[in-house]
Amino acid sequence: MPDRKLEAFFRHARCTTPDIGLLQPADPILNAAGEDLRRRIFMTADEGGQAWCLRPEFTIPVCLRHIEGGKAKQRYGYVGKVFRHRTDEPHEFVQAGIEDIGAKNLIAADTRSLSDCVTMLRELGAGKLAVTTGDQAIFEAVLESLGLPDSWQTRLGRAFGDPVKLKADLDRLSGDNGSDFESLDPELRKRLEAGDREGVKQWIADKMEADGISPASGRTPQGIATRLFAKAELASAHLTSAQRRVLEEFLALDVPLAEAEMQLWGLAHKYRIVLGAPIETFHKRVASIGKLELRNVQLRYRAAFGRRLDYYTGFVFEVADAAIEDAKPLAGGGRYDGLLDVLGAGDATPAVGFSVWVDRLTTKPRKNKSKAKKKAAARGAKRK
Amino acid sequence: MTVTLAIPSKGRLKEKTLEIFASAGLKITQAEDSRSYRGTMSMEGVEVAFLSASEIARELIAGNVQIGVTGEDLARESIAHADRYLSFREKLGFGHADVVVAVPESWVDVDTMADLDDVAAAFRKNNIRPLRIATKYWQLTQNWFADHGIALYRIVESLGATEGAPAAGTADIIVDITSTGSTLRANSLKILTDGVILQSQANLVVSKTAKFSREDRSTVKALCDAVGSAVAR
Repeated sequence: MPDRKLEAFFRHARCTTPDIGLLQPADPILNAAGEDLRRRIFMTADEGGQAWCLRPEFTIPVCLRHIEGGKAKQRYGYVGKVFRHRTDEPHEFVQAGIEDIGAKNLIAADTRSLSDCVTMLRELGAGKLAVTTGDQAIFEAVLESLGLPDSWQTRLGRAFGDPVKLKADLDRLSGDNGSDFESLDPELRKRLEAGDREGVKQWIADKMEADGISPASGRTPQGIATRLFAKAELASAHLTSAQRRVLEEFLALDVPLAEAEMQLWGLAHKYRIVLGAPIETFHKRVASIGKLELRNVQLRYRAAFGRRLDYYTGFVFEVADAAIEDAKPLAGGGRYDGLLDVLGAGDATPAVGFSVWVDRLTTKPRKNKSKAKKKAAARGAKRK
Repeated sequence: MTVTLAIPSKGRLKEKTLEIFASAGLKITQAEDSRSYRGTMSMEGVEVAFLSASEIARELIAGNVQIGVTGEDLARESIAHADRYLSFREKLGFGHADVVVAVPESWVDVDTMADLDDVAAAFRKNNIRPLRIATKYWQLTQNWFADHGIALYRIVESLGATEGAPAAGTADIIVDITSTGSTLRANSLKILTDGVILQSQANLVVSKTAKFSREDRSTVKALCDAVGSAVAR
């Protein structure tokens, strides 16, 4: 078992190793990651109807523990079984990782997380590694530099990391965005067209009261009115083909990390866009990672690479076996400055971490088998 | 071997099913004791079981009955990837019900799933709790919202009077069935323009997991053909 090795590693990396239960309350996890996760985790309930789940990951439980503990800054190490529905791999598997919560020097923490991740993989016997990095902040900087309306920026920002959704959103914004105000109540429409914000708000408030919808329950008349006006202002706007070209050219970037900055500057220069503070941070991070002098590690930057969970805010990375094409990642990590707030920490807390899929390292036969298959396929191809 | 045909055990679904089988020349007789859940049919090699429509969906998936009549909504709600387990053979032309996403009429800025995506994200940003959806259709709701890239919401299980949930304050929006939309309108709810998840009706459904002998297969085919041509008439 790798546990003893990892314990030493955690001590060396100055991590506390909290005891995280196999059974976790489901609500905080589903609130943070979304209902969609329910399809992929093992749920159960106690006799009081309280929903529990088999630990599907460590990050959220560790963050909850951090909030409980009340310390400003702490590093946590963990190793243990997690449980998820997976189609071609076992439902229970081992994850190990480190979460670094509250460290104020973001670049140093990002670098250290990647470095610890590579070191842990080495400890567990990994060979040549291929690291893909991404950065949500750079994408957001591109959106902002194009002068897109706020609501479009947030919508596209949310789709970052999901190519299907991102393309659907780009298509929707490129075309006639089809806002239909014909179906609005005539009186409301009159007030909207007259720019009567107070009148629109009042109409909505009256409607909510008549329908018995409490304005304290979720959406307020003010919030609905504001969004209606924003939508009306954009009714005839659409993403220009020039804007779309910039976005698509940016998203297609997939280059060695050392060349990424030059490419980004090139793009900024070509389209006269300003990438501002995020590119400064990017520059410092690349320099800092460069100083690690990681051996036998290929580093790439893929502009479209991100995580769909909205609490991931910046640097993300994924590590795979460099010797296997299209290999499932051995580890994934990233900065999730939004998560502690979502979990109720009360204020923004910087956090970065990674998880290793330990079983993918220890099940060597699979690797050999795929190699054998490749060889067999190559032989087959020769024969033809 | 015989084939077990499962028929809805009560209400309009039962009446309409018996009617359509009768017009296909297939007479179904329920056992003398009116509380019996067994019956016979004029076609040889067929046994009839009277079950609730949702039970029929489950039994077909489990392979305990070979063929049955149930709503497509119930079948698709019972299991993910329903087409792997079930073959929907004939639409029967009754039991129409749309499964829809409906929001309060006062949400005048929300017409589409894309709008709802924005609103769900705003709940995340401004509130402590996520957008809540009242429904009894867990499976259909989760798949539909995943297809639209929306993850940030929570389902509040509702086992009755779902349309009252927004006014009662237990949920923000609903996913429910409607046939004419009048219940939704009476509760001041509107269907999103692209919010029809499924246009459901009663179907003749064959199990893909049940065992069939060669005779069973020809019996099932004869049943489907007979019902199919009755529907077409």
